Amino acid sequence: MLLTKFKGKEALIPQLKGKVFLVTCHGCKEVNLSGAEHEAELLFNEALASQHINGLLTADYICNPEYLQARFERFADQVREADTILVFSCGVGVQTIADAFPNKRVIAANDTYPLPGFQGVTPLEHDCKQCGQCYLNLTGGICPITACSKSLINGQCGGAKNGKCEVDPNMECGWERIQKKLAQIGRLDALKCPVQLRDYSVDAKSE
Amino acid sequence: MRITELFDNGEFVVTAEVGPPKGIHVDHLVEEAKEHLSGITAVNVTDNQSSVMRMGSLPTCVLLKNAGLTPILQLTCRDRNRIALQSELLGAAALGIDNILCLTGDHTRMGDHPGAKPVFDLDSVSLLHTVCQLEKGVDLAGNPLVGEAPKFAKGAVVSPCSDSVDAQLAKMERKVMAGAEYFQTQAVFDSEKFIQFMEQAKQFGKPVQLGVIIPKSAGMAKFMNKNVAGVHVPQWMIDELAADKEKAKAGITGVELAAKVIKECRPYCQGLHIMALGWEAKVPELLKLAGI
Amino acid sequence: MENYTKYALKPAEELVRLLEGRDNLFVLSCNKCYREFEAVTAPERDEFLKLAEDQGKTVTGTAAMDFLCNKTLTAKALADLIPAGTEYVAVIACGLGIQTVADLVELPVIALADSRSYGGHHGMALTQKKCGACAQCYLNITGGICPIVDCSKSLVNGQCGGAKNGKCEVDPNKDCAWEKIQQRLAQQGRLEELKNQPVQLRDWSKVNFKTINDYVKAIRAERFEGYYGGVHPTERVGVTEHLSLIRFPEPATAVIPLSMHAGAPANPVVQVGDQVQVGQVIGEAAGFISAPVHSSISGKVVAIEERPHASRGKCLSVVIENDGKNTVHESVKPGKPLEELTPAEIVEVVKKAGIVGMGGAGFPTYVKLMPNKPIEAVLLNGCECEPLLTADHRVLLEYTDEIIHGLKAIMKAVDAPKGVIVIEDNKLDAIARFEARLAGEANIEVVAARTKYPQGAEKMLIKRVLGRMVPSGKLPADVGAVVCNISTAKAISDAITTGMPLIERVVTVTGDYIASPKNFIAKIGTNVADLVAACGGITNADATVKAGGPMMGFIQTTLETPIMKGSNGIIAIKTDHAEPVACIQCGRCVDVCPMELKPLYFAKYAGLGQPQLLKERNIMDCMECRCCEYICSSKIPLVTLIRIGKNAVRGMK
Repeated sequence: MLLTKFKGKEALIPQLKGKVFLVTCHGCKEVNLSGAEHEAELLFNEALASQHINGLLTADYICNPEYLQARFERFADQVREADTILVFSCGVGVQTIADAFPNKRVIAANDTYPLPGFQGVTPLEHDCKQCGQCYLNLTGGICPITACSKSLINGQCGGAKNGKCEVDPNMECGWERIQKKLAQIGRLDALKCPVQLRDYSVDAKSE
Repeated sequence: MRITELFDNGEFVVTAEVGPPKGIHVDHLVEEAKEHLSGITAVNVTDNQSSVMRMGSLPTCVLLKNAGLTPILQLTCRDRNRIALQSELLGAAALGIDNILCLTGDHTRMGDHPGAKPVFDLDSVSLLHTVCQLEKGVDLAGNPLVGEAPKFAKGAVVSPCSDSVDAQLAKMERKVMAGAEYFQTQAVFDSEKFIQFMEQAKQFGKPVQLGVIIPKSAGMAKFMNKNVAGVHVPQWMIDELAADKEKAKAGITGVELAAKVIKECRPYCQGLHIMALGWEAKVPELLKLAGI
Repeated sequence: MENYTKYALKPAEELVRLLEGRDNLFVLSCNKCYREFEAVTAPERDEFLKLAEDQGKTVTGTAAMDFLCNKTLTAKALADLIPAGTEYVAVIACGLGIQTVADLVELPVIALADSRSYGGHHGMALTQKKCGACAQCYLNITGGICPIVDCSKSLVNGQCGGAKNGKCEVDPNKDCAWEKIQQRLAQQGRLEELKNQPVQLRDWSKVNFKTINDYVKAIRAERFEGYYGGVHPTERVGVTEHLSLIRFPEPATAVIPLSMHAGAPANPVVQVGDQVQVGQVIGEAAGFISAPVHSSISGKVVAIEERPHASRGKCLSVVIENDGKNTVHESVKPGKPLEELTPAEIVEVVKKAGIVGMGGAGFPTYVKLMPNKPIEAVLLNGCECEPLLTADHRVLLEYTDEIIHGLKAIMKAVDAPKGVIVIEDNKLDAIARFEARLAGEANIEVVAARTKYPQGAEKMLIKRVLGRMVPSGKLPADVGAVVCNISTAKAISDAITTGMPLIERVVTVTGDYIASPKNFIAKIGTNVADLVAACGGITNADATVKAGGPMMGFIQTTLETPIMKGSNGIIAIKTDHAEPVACIQCGRCVDVCPMELKPLYFAKYAGLGQPQLLKERNIMDCMECRCCEYICSSKIPLVTLIRIGKNAVRGMK
């Protein structure tokens, strides 16, 4: 599970048709320490009174279809009866369940947010947007794609005030950091590189 | 003049399409249009068609308007975010361009700048919705416009011969709900398919202009079948184009075939949209042969 | 299985350009993640080294590391690694690894690789499903097919005109997402719903840097609280934490194993037919690391034979039939008060009473009380970090004075100037109770530790409280600490004040599948089945029964085992039927290992007949806390494999 936030009861109730089977994922619990389980339980307890919910499966790593099969086996009856499967997980988990039950109304209970630095092991203060053309050589190891609100690759814009970003005054201007770092390691010459152009054709989504 | 008024009057609306040049010399385009397209209702001006960079649609529209034609501004969502699109629309209204066609646009990867960032902040449906907002005197964020609100004839496109007709019909309905007032279709070569499509599409109550391309050769037909979405040239047409290469090259076969499609489909549609692809000169002949 | 390797080496021309005017490179490469764990090879590094050689460059050294983005471990690995004379650190990793290294080294860093783009975030299983993390999930209107990731244009209001034969205009091998959506919804009879949606507009402001950054910082703070690694399993202690201790009836028959401690099993000193009394020695310690065993009831020895044992399969046990008289053995009598006891006398009392670590490991306590090194502090472990268990929590509340008394005895025995009682902050009532009781005690303090598993592990506790790391292969005494469980301290107090050896303990019987969970005081040798029956039995045939907590407990195949000195819990929980799949190097086990080990290698190398590799990776430091197994995204039985590996290492000599 990536970083998720509950969509809220108001947004979900109209989506729930007929009998509802709940699935909650805590696979990435340790990285997002999310309240998904708790939210699901609250909804479960509340809705139980109105007889809409016919089962709750808490599992980890529901994005793994192999596990999913083994775990759903014991809930086969409830799932068969259910009209809606409400899933508390990131978008990957919801899609996996939607694929496993193509005839069921599968509803996502959460919105999924990008989690910086969760490409490798755990969340980090660093983020990598997988731009496919690493700029870190020009910037002293500070990523302009993620450290700059505008992902500028040719230097600072005019929006920095007191070293902070115009988009968020709590965020340090990425290019100011780059400038300092390059000065520190004696590599300010890196800024004299040719004009940089992003190549968006390397985006795998459209490959 | 908004072409929706003509649809309202029950007129059979004929439009054709021109593409701005990759350069700053537009005299040729304006002259050609004046010579061959003056007889038709309006002229679509494409917006970096096929993601190939060209002169902008809006200035070209203005030049055509100055030459006495009625231009339709094509607007895609590929190159501009919602701010730029709205500002373009206000500019168009100020310059007297009041016919627009809202499209999503081809992906950047399809054109001559494959490394460009594909924007798609809005899509055709949300663009139509945005236009309606402007017409109500507010922008997409709900901020009021100063003074009189713009008014457009809002067009959209649909692919009747797509192999996913259901998805196209669903999208068409969404476009109607978002404010589309008329439709131009992707090129049709198979009348039967179009007629079947119109059986479904007529429920939306919006005028539909039959899209037509004059087929230039068997090779072009095969190429389109292979590469162009929503286009299918039936085998018998390809055979006919291949049968007499000289006749095809002169455009006689193509015009005959296109005219046949128009005649067969005319009872089912409310207008005609010709994508001449450089054969603008053949448009008058085609219209004559089709009996329009 | 998809391969989500995060980076690719930059093109050769670019690398040549990058090397212009630069020399003396140290080459650092990441061993990659999110792909099937086959063998550790570094083809990109080899390719680069060849290129560098062709360019006549000097390479001052190379290193391949796992999970370069793991800042804690990378920082340690990099210390003193880069030789003098190096001018540039050239890194082959994804952007995260490169940025991490750039943060950690003083030298300029050269990025030799480009991150690969996958157009979204994948899950923990390497399937093709991806999530765009758009912060406004559209799956509810699209039948569970993602329009952000699956549509090249990320359209949210329906199909564009670019689909041909159901394929995308951008990639003829890719299905048109909106065509799939259309089909899925038609199949489900939900087309109306799609049609009636309002116009959808992406809200790009939702993915807000500040929100996410704050959130990530908070997570990291919690993850690294006190020490590296660890996990936060759902505590689920609410069921039993407020249930007072109930004295379980004397067993009709007590089965007392001769091995309830680490080290050599005790030697039986009674025979079948003998009459024994409460507190009487029935087994003598069989060496330095061993402990005597006492009868918990009075009655007749009816058998000395192999009986089922919670952690060892079978074990030689003394079976005693209760005579119901509860006669106490003459050796059980109060000794001198603590004030009059010498440290050596305290050690003797503890040794004779058969007291062993009651947190589960069962290490003979008297050995700990003879550290032969200066001890700065005695830490009493009241963390009880295992989910579900509340035995120690109840002991903290109901035997507060005994625990403090026991602590003082330990402090005296090891001559420690300071005592610390460490309690997790999910037991606030116990913390308050001790704070009140210790108000006047200058040299004993209470430390509230943030709840995190395995807080109660000896080495974690020392790190958390004293900020010291016990080096590999060393003991707590080496860093000036002695750690004891609070129940052990209570047992020491009992031995001093009443002379009663360790013949009973507190045990929690709980879990989702226990009808009516309870906390008991039970005699050693009581049948587990009787305790479970007293709690209304097990409610579901699909239960997994464990002796101990859900993390470190031993899976039980029978309830016919006795309560032992280390039995803090009997639990019946849901069984997870998922089967192990191949390791994908997701790195989660490395992220949670509190000993800062790399468990994935133990799984890989165990059974390969190469114990040397395991030893090099410090497998013997593993304390089997099971964090890695708990988090494993491939469900690999890591601890079982680690035990096999440890045996192989032990057999090396």
